[in-house]
Amino acid sequence: MSGPQIILWVIALAVLALCMRRGMPQARRAVVETNRGFWRILPMFCVALPMAAFLSELVPADIATEWLGDDSGLSGIMIASLAGGIMPGGPFVTFPLVITFSKAGAGVAQMTALLTAWSVYALHRILTWEYPVLGWRFVAMRLASSFFLPVLAGLIMQALLPFFAINLAAP
Amino acid sequence: MWLDPHRVAPFPLSAGEFGGRLYLPPPSLARCAPVLQFARVLHALRRHASLVVIFLIAVTAGLATLQLRGAEAFMTALWHAWDLFLFIVPSLVAGLLLAAALRQLLSPDALARLMGAESGIFGLFIATLVGTLSPGGPMAAFPLVLVLAGAGADRGALVAFILAWSLNGFQKLLVYEAPLLGLDFALLRTLITFPMPMIAGWIARRVPIAWEPPK
Repeated sequence: MSGPQIILWVIALAVLALCMRRGMPQARRAVVETNRGFWRILPMFCVALPMAAFLSELVPADIATEWLGDDSGLSGIMIASLAGGIMPGGPFVTFPLVITFSKAGAGVAQMTALLTAWSVYALHRILTWEYPVLGWRFVAMRLASSFFLPVLAGLIMQALLPFFAINLAAP
Repeated sequence: MWLDPHRVAPFPLSAGEFGGRLYLPPPSLARCAPVLQFARVLHALRRHASLVVIFLIAVTAGLATLQLRGAEAFMTALWHAWDLFLFIVPSLVAGLLLAAALRQLLSPDALARLMGAESGIFGLFIATLVGTLSPGGPMAAFPLVLVLAGAGADRGALVAFILAWSLNGFQKLLVYEAPLLGLDFALLRTLITFPMPMIAGWIARRVPIAWEPPK
């Protein structure tokens, strides 16, 4: 297990211990919910991971360099923001795809914009959750106050990159 | 063919999921079995929409790989996917456990009182913090938004909450981003985007779009 994984397990067990202190029923419910969540998410994994792997076989190396590479600058950041906004599915889809894009030459700032746009715009989530639950006025209000964030995040990352050595393709 | 409206109770969308009101089909709809059936199918599709879409993309991409790159590349890809799966599963289980345990401890009502329209930047900060710590997918987060709204959180706080949850959610960070993209990138990106929900919430309080929380 890697460092972050160990940290995660320690935090999870600590919070579970807090639950136990509050009462055994709570702790038991936490474990039952964990089990249920795992089986609910498993089918997603079974299709998302092969999808990302196939796509990374199909995407020719360096094809992303021109559009999304480190030198693509603002236009690359904007393209990545658009792509991130329409990307469907949860993190089990997006993060493997980001690895795929990075192997194909995409830049770190561009991938930051893509991840931010995937979180901020999240077209699939608007259609399936935000619009039905909160209404289109809320969607409009939220987008009006956050539409510029992905490009901003990409630009900040680009400005900071010279000070950090980050390689997404080989973690 | 005609259904008693009272028997509509097990209709998956009506049962208390969002305070029990949002998705309750009108009685006229409830009496019409074919329409109800259609709504059920729609609901199932909506719940599994991403699964269906991703499955179709996966099959297409798999066939294309087989056709264009050959059987060996196909097997290599599947092997990579299996590797990644084994790599993620320990984090996934820990993340789910943490999410479920936190849900037993957090009290949305007490938190929402700190996020009213008069709460200023502090309220936005609390909303951002709560969003960052909120575990789970949209099926957990959006009902929580309704609870927070009902308990007095204002629209700026709700926008900040949603963005913080989706941008900086710790679960996503620890389960996926740090293991897959490296801790350096995950930390730097999170530092950059951490203040963003507060900025958006601040703007949302000033955007001239009228919105009332669903009752």
